[in-house]
Formats: sequence, C-alpha cells, structure tokens
Amino acid sequence: MKILRTVGWWLCFLAVGVCIQALAPGLDVLAVGLIILLQERDYRNILWLVPLFVLVQEGMGTRPFGAVIVWYASIIVLFRLGRWLFQVENFVFVFLLSACLGAAYYGVTWLMAPLQNLGFNVEDTLDKALLQAIFMPFAWRLLVAARQMNAPEEEE
Amino acid sequence: MNLRRILILAGVLLILFLGMYSWNQRTHALDDLAASVGLEVGGAVLGPLRAVQDVASGFWDRYFDLVDVREENLRLKARVDELESRLLASGEDLAELRRLRELVQLPVDVSWRPLGARVLAGRLGPNAVLDSITISRGYATGGRPGTPLVTHLGLVGRVLKASPHASTALLITDPGSRVAVFGQESRAPGILMGKGKGRELEVNFVQRDASVKDGEVLVTSGLDGKYPKGLPVARVVSVAPSDYTQFMAVSAVPLVDLQHLEEVLLLEPSGIAPPPEEPEGPPPVFVGPPAPESLPGRARTDVARAPAQRAPAQPLDPQAPAVAQPDAAPRASAPAPARQRGGETATPGAGADSGQAPETVPGASATVRTSRERTGAPVSAGATPAPGPGAQPAPAAGNARPGASSLPPAPPASDGTAPRYRVVLP
Repeated sequence: MKILRTVGWWLCFLAVGVCIQALAPGLDVLAVGLIILLQERDYRNILWLVPLFVLVQEGMGTRPFGAVIVWYASIIVLFRLGRWLFQVENFVFVFLLSACLGAAYYGVTWLMAPLQNLGFNVEDTLDKALLQAIFMPFAWRLLVAARQMNAPEEEE
Repeated sequence: MNLRRILILAGVLLILFLGMYSWNQRTHALDDLAASVGLEVGGAVLGPLRAVQDVASGFWDRYFDLVDVREENLRLKARVDELESRLLASGEDLAELRRLRELVQLPVDVSWRPLGARVLAGRLGPNAVLDSITISRGYATGGRPGTPLVTHLGLVGRVLKASPHASTALLITDPGSRVAVFGQESRAPGILMGKGKGRELEVNFVQRDASVKDGEVLVTSGLDGKYPKGLPVARVVSVAPSDYTQFMAVSAVPLVDLQHLEEVLLLEPSGIAPPPEEPEGPPPVFVGPPAPESLPGRARTDVARAPAQRAPAQPLDPQAPAVAQPDAAPRASAPAPARQRGGETATPGAGADSGQAPETVPGASATVRTSRERTGAPVSAGATPAPGPGAQPAPAAGNARPGASSLPPAPPASDGTAPRYRVVLP
C-alpha cells in the first residue's frame, strides 16, 4: 500500500510538473523532485524515477538525446558537493544550490549546443537559467510541504 | 573516497556517456525511446488538461459570467431571446461553415489529405531549445515526421519527432527551418529561413534581377520535396540588395500567428494522383524558338518518351482510381508538374525514368510538344504539362538554375486528341 501511494504521489508530481512546464517553456520542474529524492536518500525510487524523468524530458524536448543526462548529473554532483558543507534540508542550501544550478543550466546548454550542432542563443539561455534558478527554491519549499502533509499518513 | 577514485569514476562515466551518445547518434534508438515515452506522457497529461480547460471556460462563460444579465433577459425578453437564439444558432452555423470552408479550401489537391490536430503546448521542458509546438497527433494517427502543418492562413511548419499519439512540430520561425519558396507574383525562387521566435524570416538566394516587391506573398515552391506547392507562407516586408552577397536581402513575416495557435491541419500524403481538369477554351498558341537537333534536351526527351511508348505506367497504389490519367491542364494551385517526392525528381524536359540529370533546356519543352502531337503517345512523368488559364510558369524542380522560371511553358495538346498523362512517383 505504501509503495502504491509513493508511486501515485510521484506520478501526480510528474503530471503537475508537465503541466507547469507547458506554461513556462524551458523550465525543468522535475529537477526539484530529484533534489527531494536526494535529500530523502530515497535511492530505491531514484532508480526508476530518474530514468523516467530523463526519458520524459528528452522525449518532450527537441534536442538529440543526452543533454538532460548531463543536466541531471550536474544536479547530483552539485548536491553531493554541497552536502559536505551545508545541511541539505536548509533553505539557504537549496537557494545556493539553485543559483549554482542556474549557472549549470547555462553551462550545459553552452556545452551541448556545438556537440549537437545547434545554435546557441545567449539571451534566451540566460533567461531560462535565471528562471530555473528563481523557480527552484520556491518549488522545493512547496514540495517539501506537500511531502510533510503526506508523511503522517505514510507513518500510520 | 579519495580524489583519485573520484577522478577515475568521473572518467569512466564520461567515457560511458560519450559512448552512449555516439551510439545513439548512429542508431537513434534512445531518441526514439525518449520520444515515445516523453511525448506520450506529455500528450496524456496535457490532452485531458486542455479538455478540462475548455469545459471550465465554457462553464464559466455560460453560468457565471453575466448570469444576472442573462436571467433578466430571459425573464423580460423570452420571446425575443428565443428568436435571437435561433438567429445566433444560424449565425454560429454559418460562421462554422465559413471556417470549415476556409480550412478545406487550402491550395492543395487530393494528393495531400488534411488531418486536424490540436496544439497541446509550446516548448516543453529544458531540452526544448528549438522553436516548436506539441500537437495531439503522432505517427499512429497521421503525424509522421516530416508531415507539413498548416492553418487556413498558411504554412506553420512540419513534424520533427513523433510518438504514437503526440508529436513535436518545428515552426518555420526556428533558425533551423528551411522552406523553398517563390514569390506569388514575381515567381522569384528563394529559401526561407527562420531567425528565431518573434523575429522576421529571411529569404536567401533571391537573384538580384528578381522583381520581388514589398507586400508580396511567398508561397511554397515544392522544390524541396517537403511541402506541397502553392501554400502561402509569409509576406515580404523589405527588399534591398545585400551588402555582403550577390543576392537580394529579403525579409518577411509569417502569415500565421505562430504564437497563438490552437488547431492546425496536418497534410498527409494520400498517394492519390491529383484529378485531371479539362482545359477551358482553346489552347494558347506556342511561339518559341525551334528545337535544334543538336540540343541535348531533344535527345533526353526522346529517351523519356521511349519507355512510355513501350510500357504504360502501372499504378503504384492498387486502390488509386487512376495512375495514368489524362491531364489537360493543372490548376494554378495544383502541385508542381515537377515534384520531388521520396528523393526522386521529375523535371520538365527530363524524364524521371530516363536517368538524366534534371535540367531544363529552352528547346526541350517545344520538343516534347511537337513529338507528342506528332505521335499522340502518352508521355511519362516529367513531361511538361501546360499551365491552365491564369497559371504562372513554374520553375524547374531539383537543381533548377536561376532564371529557369522564365522559360516558356509547354502548351497543351492542340487538338485534344493527344491527352497528356501524369504518373505519380512514389
């Protein structure tokens, strides 16, 4: 029952994330879910959710396969680096991580553009990176609140 | 974990990633898998969302917005409302009829079957860097990659990648988009390029002596083999000689509002030959230079005619009504008499089955006409059909040379006893 509830919760998160992404082009909502999974050290769900997130994002996008893997790898690496210095449940940590991920977003796009033979629009990429960096802490806060609302039921 | 192990792990992961990336570039297996999963998930989530959005907005409009005014009108003007509702219903029907007529009056023939699709979203996710939209048809429902997208106003783009029930379409404003066009009046060919969202389009390779004017509508030429001929695409907003190239610098804006799309039509190749049309009035008298025997076009035409005399064209689709049909005069909006399809090129003056290079020679059209009239034999694909009344001469397909559009068109059969035939290439 708990497994079903967890799977349902994450599928609902996936559906809401896709809807929000339809409203804001270029935004990655599912990355917030990855941060939550890393914070909770829920490696069993990471095993199936991260490939699903990668496939969904790559499939909905227009670039050749590969960029989202680098993007999510950068999230994992930055998270693990930050865990050495900060408490991962702290909002300041998430804020700093979001700022770094905004830079990483720009870096990944800049890195993959020549590799995939695509044009690189500096202004457009900067806008998206800024949007991603601003969105992430608040979405994380909302998601943590939603998880805490769901947690007592899971404990019962 | 010390630094050395971390570096080794990072190196191994990098090698694995590059290996996977190279393998995927060669096989596109991961691209296909991701498209199937991602677009299906996106379509499954956004399709019902759009339906709920429509229902909610309709509910709001009907029952909440100005509900007091409606009740008052119902109470005080019951009889008038009844009559007005009838009028409104008729008006809605008429408006719908008008919209549907506009949709079905696209300048395409029966060889392209229009399929309606709903726009689900614009760019989705961090990986959507191209100017694109997501639509509600996939390769199982008519949205195969490469399928052109239009509205009743003109060209929108084409399907880039597809899952079974949803697909992503590349808009003509994307910098990676290329459309072969020519001016509707000047018939000057060019290549239309996108410059990004919200920016003007650019028409490249327009000759300096072309008489393109501001406000002229650009239509697809069909020379790229990707789009049907004659679809309106953009309107010219500026024309000036380029400072950097030997061509004209032409800017244009799309005819379709690409930022507010709700429904689009996909043009799926139907495999049916376009219907023949009877010529109206006497055929025009062709006056042109004689065809010298030394011209290479003469030899090519004879080669092109020979297989047609030996064996009639066989239908490619057994359900097609007729493959080899008498073609009196194609419409002005009909597909190009020389159309690239599936990589083959049918070119005026050069038979597609002759294996000759597609090239148009001024004497070739006259040769086709005289030999056809002389023998009365049907000519296979590649024979130059005559334009109908009011039709414009079309440039040659394939690697047509600049200025080919000014060639004199071949006339139709003068006595009507020698019908011309068109064979649709696969």
